[in-house]
Amino acid sequence: MTNIIEIRQLHYRAGKTFEIKQLDLNVPPGAIYGFLGPNGSGKTTTIRLALGLLRPLTGRITVLGDAIPDHAPRVLARVGYVPEQPNLDPVLTVRETLAFQAAFYPTWDRPWAERLVRQFDLDERQPFGRLSKGQKGKVMMLLALAQRPDLLVLDEPTDGLDPVVRRDVLSALLDYVSQRQATVFISSHLVHELERFCDWIGVMDNGRLVTEVPMERFKNGIKRLRVAGAPPTAAGAPFMLLAREHANGGAETWVVRDWEPGMAAYFETIGAALNDVIDLDLEEGFVELLRTFRSPRG
Amino acid sequence: MFDKLDPRSPTPLYAQIANRLRVAIAAGELRPGAALPSVRHLAAELRVNPATVVQAYHDLESEGFLEMRQGAGTFVREVAPESRARERARQASALVRQMLSEAGRLGVSLHEVQAAIADEIGVGTA
Amino acid sequence: MFRVILYSQWKWSRLIVALGSVAGFALPIVSLQGAASGDRSALAAGELLQAVQSWGVLYPVLAAGLGLLVAITTWAPDHRGRHVHALSLPVPRWRYVALRFGAGTALLAAPIVAVVAGALLATWSATIPPGLQGYPVALAVRFALAVLVAYAVFFAVSAGTARTAGIILGILGSIILVQILAGVANLELDLFGRLQVIVLDWPGPLAIFTGRWMLIDV
Repeated sequence: MTNIIEIRQLHYRAGKTFEIKQLDLNVPPGAIYGFLGPNGSGKTTTIRLALGLLRPLTGRITVLGDAIPDHAPRVLARVGYVPEQPNLDPVLTVRETLAFQAAFYPTWDRPWAERLVRQFDLDERQPFGRLSKGQKGKVMMLLALAQRPDLLVLDEPTDGLDPVVRRDVLSALLDYVSQRQATVFISSHLVHELERFCDWIGVMDNGRLVTEVPMERFKNGIKRLRVAGAPPTAAGAPFMLLAREHANGGAETWVVRDWEPGMAAYFETIGAALNDVIDLDLEEGFVELLRTFRSPRG
Repeated sequence: MFDKLDPRSPTPLYAQIANRLRVAIAAGELRPGAALPSVRHLAAELRVNPATVVQAYHDLESEGFLEMRQGAGTFVREVAPESRARERARQASALVRQMLSEAGRLGVSLHEVQAAIADEIGVGTA
Repeated sequence: MFRVILYSQWKWSRLIVALGSVAGFALPIVSLQGAASGDRSALAAGELLQAVQSWGVLYPVLAAGLGLLVAITTWAPDHRGRHVHALSLPVPRWRYVALRFGAGTALLAAPIVAVVAGALLATWSATIPPGLQGYPVALAVRFALAVLVAYAVFFAVSAGTARTAGIILGILGSIILVQILAGVANLELDLFGRLQVIVLDWPGPLAIFTGRWMLIDV
């Protein structure tokens, strides 16, 4: 099946320092794709480019089968977007904001929107500008969901929200995804939050996509190994060595990628002993990956 | 029921959910014929991928604990007492294995473990 | 779609439109305040014309002010978010811009109608000296065009980034303010005419602002 979001060789520049180069990105249908990366890595810019809010220098972008930015309005009718800042008209009340949005989306589900207002415990008569940060975050998710989109593009939707609001917002999101084969593209720098439900992961750093793999492969593939007696250069390793640190007494800690259990045999061949294989959670894996990406070792 | 779900654990989430349900069924917390929450409801409540819940339910169905009825929902099956006892025994072994491995890591001897058990439950095990 | 955009713009600009309508209704009446009573001699006719001309300076000011303020309130909600929300809506950009423009134009109908009403009422209830005539409809039409021209210009400026719009509008706003103050102080000052001559010697739509605005003339 064709990808829901497909980006090929994207090139974009802003100012003198920020650049996105040769970006290739794929979001398979029905995936919940977590887009990770430190602040300033280009996540928001990539999202804006993907939705046609910005124009790239070169590259091809296809969303829901249509080219962006050529057919952006047609595509946007099926995309629920939560931007990084909740900048809606501050003067309109929650009810008026919903009415405004509903006028633009023929697929708007009014009864469900009203149920979500009650579920999120929002006062419909409050002007948007006077809502708290958490309430604004809920409204933004509500607007994206009530539209019944085929694709949800969420740019740090829980950023700055307290844990209770985060749970409410993510619950509503997963409730929708369960009802409907929608695809989700969610960016965050809160790694542990995405860990629960993403089945794909893309990591961005400094304008480049560092890795894009199914979540299980990423989580299971990155390990910390306790090794003893290894030679200075470990040639022919079946895994990718990300980092190698010496502890005292000849023991070392290796951080590796693409690990599989059978690879333990390799250490015998180089005359070393593999003493322990330690799992890394997503956050640790993410940190290690970025660390080595920024200062590559042989 | 599911408040100890840990995405960082090496055990995949679907396995954690399945384990918890298996224990609940074996211990009688979930009675035969009881309806389990829908995939949609559980995914939303636990904030996990619906595919995760589906996998947990499917695993339990193939083990004979659950029955997914088209259009009606997922229900606990009537499990024979021997199956339940077997499951409880399996859980007990897993607990003991875990405890012994932890004890080994801490340098606690088997004898000390046994003494501690005797202390805790007030009866000798030696 | 037009309905919700019109509603949101009305919410932002209702005060301006209301005040503008009151001012637009009052202006013709006030400019003819002397003419309601009794008979006039030839000398008084001259005074009347003088009064009408002085007050007349306020028409272009009001027109430009309304055009400016309604244009600002049209784009105010979008500027804060850098148009992200508007650009993420499933309508082509040109259509969205057209909807906004149309909504502003619809709202400006109120002060225009107010001027029509005020001008008609003023000329109908006044005793006009012989040799002079009232031109309420011509004046109102001119006012309508001036408002729309001003709105169109400021709308186009505001549709861009907030910063450039702010700078340009700030400059124009101060010119309007000076014009108003000059009008109040009864100074013969026609800045827009001067500006037009200086900046663009352009016999185009901006020419509508220049010259005298006479409700009553020979």
